[in-house]
Amino acid sequence: MRPWSRSTFAIVVGSVLLGVMPALDQAGAQPKPIKIGEINSYSGVATPYTFPYKEGMALATKEINDAGGVLGRPLEFIHRDDKLKPDEAVKAARELVLQDKVDFLAGCISSGVGLAISAYAKDAKVLYFATHCQTSRLTWDDGHRYVAHTTNNVNQYVRVAAKKAASLPIKKWANISPDYEYGHNMWEEFSTYLKKLKPEVEFVQLNWPKLGESDHSSYITALLQSGAEGLFSSVWGSQSIAFVKQARPFGLFEKMRYVAPSVGNPDELDPLGKEAPVGAIATPFAWYDPGLNKLHPNLAAWSKKYTEWAKEKGLKDPSPKLGGSWGYASAYIIAEAIKRAKSTDPEKVIGALGEGFEMDFPWGKVVMRGCDQQALPPQWIGVVKMDAQGKPVAAEIEEVQGKDVVRSCDEVKELRAAAAAKQKK
Amino acid sequence: MRAARWLVAIAVLTVLPPLLPSFLVVVMTEIAIVALFATAFNLLMGFGGMVSFGHAAYFALGAYAAAILVKQAGWPMLLGLAAAPFAAAAGALVFGFFIVRLTHTYFAMLSLAFAQIVFTVIFKWKTLTGGDDGLLNVWPPAWLKSPLAYGYFTLAVTGLAILAMHAIVDSPFGYALRAIRENPRRARFIGVNVRRHQLQAFVLSGFFSGLAGGLFAFFNGSVFPDFAYLNKSFEPLVVALLGGVQSFFGPLAGAVGFKILETYIARQWPVYWPLFLGAAVVLVVVALPQGFVGLLQRRAWRTPTAR
Amino acid sequence: MDFVTSLFPWITNGPLIVVQVMSGLSVAMFLFLVSVGMSLIFGVTRIVNLAHGSFYMVGAYLMVTLVETLPEHAVSFWIALVLAPIGVGLLGGVIEVTLLRRIYHREPLLQLILTFGLILVIGTLVLLVWGPDNKSVARPDALAGSLKILGQPFPLYYLLVLGLAPVVAIGLWLTFYRTRWGMLIRAATVDREMLGALGVDVATLYTQVFMFGSWLAGLGGALSAPTVAVALGMDGDVLTTAFVVVVIGGLGSFAGSFISALLVGELQSFGILVFPAVSIVLLFAIMAVVLIVRPWGLLGRPEE
Repeated sequence: MRPWSRSTFAIVVGSVLLGVMPALDQAGAQPKPIKIGEINSYSGVATPYTFPYKEGMALATKEINDAGGVLGRPLEFIHRDDKLKPDEAVKAARELVLQDKVDFLAGCISSGVGLAISAYAKDAKVLYFATHCQTSRLTWDDGHRYVAHTTNNVNQYVRVAAKKAASLPIKKWANISPDYEYGHNMWEEFSTYLKKLKPEVEFVQLNWPKLGESDHSSYITALLQSGAEGLFSSVWGSQSIAFVKQARPFGLFEKMRYVAPSVGNPDELDPLGKEAPVGAIATPFAWYDPGLNKLHPNLAAWSKKYTEWAKEKGLKDPSPKLGGSWGYASAYIIAEAIKRAKSTDPEKVIGALGEGFEMDFPWGKVVMRGCDQQALPPQWIGVVKMDAQGKPVAAEIEEVQGKDVVRSCDEVKELRAAAAAKQKK
Repeated sequence: MRAARWLVAIAVLTVLPPLLPSFLVVVMTEIAIVALFATAFNLLMGFGGMVSFGHAAYFALGAYAAAILVKQAGWPMLLGLAAAPFAAAAGALVFGFFIVRLTHTYFAMLSLAFAQIVFTVIFKWKTLTGGDDGLLNVWPPAWLKSPLAYGYFTLAVTGLAILAMHAIVDSPFGYALRAIRENPRRARFIGVNVRRHQLQAFVLSGFFSGLAGGLFAFFNGSVFPDFAYLNKSFEPLVVALLGGVQSFFGPLAGAVGFKILETYIARQWPVYWPLFLGAAVVLVVVALPQGFVGLLQRRAWRTPTAR
Repeated sequence: MDFVTSLFPWITNGPLIVVQVMSGLSVAMFLFLVSVGMSLIFGVTRIVNLAHGSFYMVGAYLMVTLVETLPEHAVSFWIALVLAPIGVGLLGGVIEVTLLRRIYHREPLLQLILTFGLILVIGTLVLLVWGPDNKSVARPDALAGSLKILGQPFPLYYLLVLGLAPVVAIGLWLTFYRTRWGMLIRAATVDREMLGALGVDVATLYTQVFMFGSWLAGLGGALSAPTVAVALGMDGDVLTTAFVVVVIGGLGSFAGSFISALLVGELQSFGILVFPAVSIVLLFAIMAVVLIVRPWGLLGRPEE
């Protein structure tokens, strides 16, 4: 035989496999569940966030199904890995819709992934619940009927941080944010709101290291010379840890007040340990904080329940984390939307979002706003402190309701109109 | 005999798609695009002996040219797609002019450096390229939009492109290229203009990679800077390697195998997929020089430069 | 001059320039440590080891584990700093003997592809062994603070790096030019076949060099662990920068790596002040220019 016919053989065998395997998948199907295709980053660098998130979602799903499911049907999340790439996410979304015939889409940790799934959902007329990414463009500039956002967006927690910043006796602010959409979005929201609240503020030394930069010393020395009294930072995760570790011995945090939304969360504070930036202002989910637990008496029981669940599932660090709470809340919000619609028809579920859609969670009330299908959960702001054991924690937690700071429906309308005009041009 | 096989292949690919569930049509479409990209890449690697580490650049140039022309300049989709390979070829001509002056490792390095530059420019030039959010909603027009229609369209376009490449490989130009691969100095002595042939091959390879990129843009309905990144450059390399770089159809078989494995393994065990892929690459390099297809192709063991 | 100061207001700020030069230097010394091993391995074995960043990552993770396991004591950090790179060196040895050795006689690019496969394998194994969460190592107390230079604070830990990198460089120089082993390595970079024909056990030499290069990657990783987050994905970041440094300096030339590390380090440092928006493009643009004008790098040797 000529060599290429062997290739033909391989192709034929492959095609047969392709045909057979999905059939195997479907063998043994049970009573018809409500299927939600969930796309998030389950390999690589985002896993510190997505693993707890997935377990939060799994815990909530189990509770919902044990209580009889939704409309008498069990809820089923089908998870897909997006490899942190929007094109993989779109591919997964199509597969879920076309092959798995899911009723809804959900997921995303990267804003780029969220926007890409959202664009697909709009086109395919499938309702998409953005559950883990936070860009405000999802439901605002690029918002449409077929996307709902079940967690807070950048605007809400950055405005809380900006409000706090405005209350400080600081005039000159500098910035360090990673050079991509999220970083620019964060600084834009922070600086415009701060300027609005306190017109006399000045902005000096804006730094844009690349996303994932590991050495910031040159930015730090430049910042030290800038004369800034306050520093806003939206570097996050491993980059944030690196920045803090590098900035501390330069005395940066003595020279300027550090405002960094992400730095109060344990995925950054725990590795930083004694090098944590004491005094930094952050917007964490501090489930362990005594004040927060006094405000929300059910929180302790939930934290315990989640920790046991995550431990059983083999997570190396089973404590709740922000991701755990988001996964948990998202599953319940999706279930509630279907319940209210009394149907899995996307148009009916869209109609059920808003108009008194409020849910109580162990950490407070989440409002789903109808005009943009944007969740407005409680926001927290606190200060990094060392606890009695010398472990860094977020303390002095204050709670602010998302609905009190977020852009109004009218403002959202303007944003959408502006984006549409730009699109036409 | 050979013609008969071609006809059978065409007949199968014509009849099969409507019988498949639409998701498998989507997978098949993607396989066709990846096969085109890998075959274009292998034009250089398998026949020219030139390993590019930056072929994502031309894939991305094609994808972005198509998306930008359709989305920002309002061109019709078919025209945008037609422009894609030419944009990529233009890029390949400029970069290739410098790249083909180098050999082996340095060839690979410089091609990678240019791809990184393309990536950074795409990432940074937000007004034109949408930056890291990419350009969304670049779907084909309604008549081509269904998975089946676009599947047929892609199969036809890639089929023609692969036939064209097959003709190139079988032409005197293709044989000159093989001569250069085997021994550049001897090729020069017998009167082959080595550098010009290499540059021509580079531009052709870029052209077809750009076509793959353009097809992928409308397939995926969006383009992203990732298309120009290192991982994308490794994709055709891995696919060609798994399929076998020594035969023209190796990359095609590699694309089928790679995508099927990816579809089923990456989805069941996302964490283990890179481990599996990495181990497969190591295994092929160390133990299966002819790729997995080589396992089936006993004859190729004896003639390592088959075809 | 007025024009210049209006464009670059920092140009008259003496202390800023000094500190910026210093921080550029410390960046450069890190770069040198992580890239010289890659260059060395290429010089002798002709392998561009793409898994170099992965070895660096393993070094950092081993450092985390060792610091966590060793009893809390002032010397523990230093013991870990010695042991972690050795662990990486051994890993390199195993990989060389079991995999790379089998394919030296084949096309050089296959080796490169193999090391690409290793990136994927090692990356996943690290995730499976250490879990997804970010980790870190605290600086030893003695080096946690800073020193004043012209009234500007400068971290002590960077001084350690500033001191250690030249020690490594001098050590390498002495090894290369003052020992028999170094002489063999230099001979191997010039003509491997001839060296083999002269009765030198080239296979063992390759293994030793590969282990040594891996050890250097591990040292870079262990040493940088206290200044960064030890996290998944650090392999790729390091690989790209080390790669640029090595290519600019000249594959195989360790003096080239040193000079190129200085160049890239200072360029990053001042690039931030001058062209904050384009500093990444700049790096690859320089690499491309070097490859076009002088493909074998500043101090490398032309191929063949």
